[in-house]
Amino acid sequence: MPLIRRDPPSPSGEIPTSPEAARQDMLSGDPLVRRRAVRHLGDGPQAVPSLMEALRREGEPAVREAIFTALAALPDAAEPLASLLRSQDAGLRNGAIEALQAMPGPARLLLPGLLADSDADVRLLSAEIARGLPAGEATALLCGVLERESDVNVCMTAIEILAEIGTPEAVPILRGLPRRFPAAPVVGFAVDIAAKRITGAQN
Amino acid sequence: MRAEKPDQPDSPDIRIADHEFRRFCDFLYRRTGIVFGDGQRAYVERRLADRILAAGSRGFSDLFARLLVEPDELEHLISAFTVNETYFFREDYQLRCLTSTLLDRITARKRRSQPIRLWSVPCSTGEEPYSIAIWLLENWPHVDSWDIEIVGSDIDVQALKAARDGIYSERSLMRLPRPLVAKYFTALTDGRYRIDDALRGSVQFSQVNIIDQGDTGPWRDMDVIFCRNVLIYFDDMARRTAANNLYDCLAPGGYICLGHTESMSRISPLFHVCRFPEAIVYQKPGEGGHA
Repeated sequence: MPLIRRDPPSPSGEIPTSPEAARQDMLSGDPLVRRRAVRHLGDGPQAVPSLMEALRREGEPAVREAIFTALAALPDAAEPLASLLRSQDAGLRNGAIEALQAMPGPARLLLPGLLADSDADVRLLSAEIARGLPAGEATALLCGVLERESDVNVCMTAIEILAEIGTPEAVPILRGLPRRFPAAPVVGFAVDIAAKRITGAQN
Repeated sequence: MRAEKPDQPDSPDIRIADHEFRRFCDFLYRRTGIVFGDGQRAYVERRLADRILAAGSRGFSDLFARLLVEPDELEHLISAFTVNETYFFREDYQLRCLTSTLLDRITARKRRSQPIRLWSVPCSTGEEPYSIAIWLLENWPHVDSWDIEIVGSDIDVQALKAARDGIYSERSLMRLPRPLVAKYFTALTDGRYRIDDALRGSVQFSQVNIIDQGDTGPWRDMDVIFCRNVLIYFDDMARRTAANNLYDCLAPGGYICLGHTESMSRISPLFHVCRFPEAIVYQKPGEGGHA
């Protein structure tokens, strides 16, 4: 029989023995060591500052992914993650959106403020976070955006998300939107598609 | 897990409109990766109607609203559309991919002194890891030239006990050619079959929860992980955690085989997609790739 059976493995001796050791390892030049350190830093709120600091200097995708996954499990990380929506680094912005979508409880507390941010890019990215909420809740938030939003790109993002997960309450607000953007006929097309998707109309 | 055949008695007449059907299919696809097309319309309607009645809902809209906010109801629904069942040589296209492509690539970068490590997780009652063993013995010409370790892991200790016992019903063996049944199994007096002792002795079984880093931590340098039809039961965060854990268990350049309705691309950016003639598998970047 060429197949062999080995004894069960014992826990790896390479695991950092304390949060302090893990923090030291996060400065290692070896991305494998940094990734392992991130995964063993601990799951308490005290880990958030170290993880955020590591995230800002980390360039390895696999280490970044480990950091975002660790942060998404920590409710205290929601606000620091939301701050990354202003980052110039697209990887950080998108990682933050995915992490916040994975933590709907903490994220929903931040969303009203983010959706009213003075920066249109932050409002647009925050609408993507709302996609991760239950349909009724997301619909209410995004309808609020549509009622007050002046940036057409933010509106288009909200329309697209409503087309996917919106409830029928969104339809009257959607129908009123093209009048506010007469110079952007694409809004009317997008609204038609979204309304049909939501109501199930065939044509 | 597989889609269940429509074999239930008729449900009361609860109509699902076209747009509700499409919306539900979109929803189920996003949540589980399971795809139903128009060809399964009757099956989907019947399952939905049963679920509407069982949940005490007033109709599709009521049930759909609950699905979005009640995790328990979503679990019931997913259970209604799936059956936990496994059998030998299930999804054998991946076994063909293993011996036609993956093992060649794996052995090309190994020394003969290094074992090939294959992990079936979750392994349920053992059909998959034993299938891997039989498939290799029957189909891989280099099987005698390499040390091959096969590990089966599951969170369910009762399933693991059954796996170690290695006793299976005729139904579990339905996909195995009869000569292989005769070669690797002994018929018992109760109509079941016991797998060959040598095979039982060559597969290691262990309890592992793949979303528990403490459980997966000791397992390293796996060359191929078969992780089929389990991630669909998890929420996004658990899937992401599982993907991270499995990534750490793999050797650089190692592969993950998911179920045919699952996509690692929707779960994690950590893996490369590899499209082979027999199957799509996901690869951990090799040395020089990302960490």
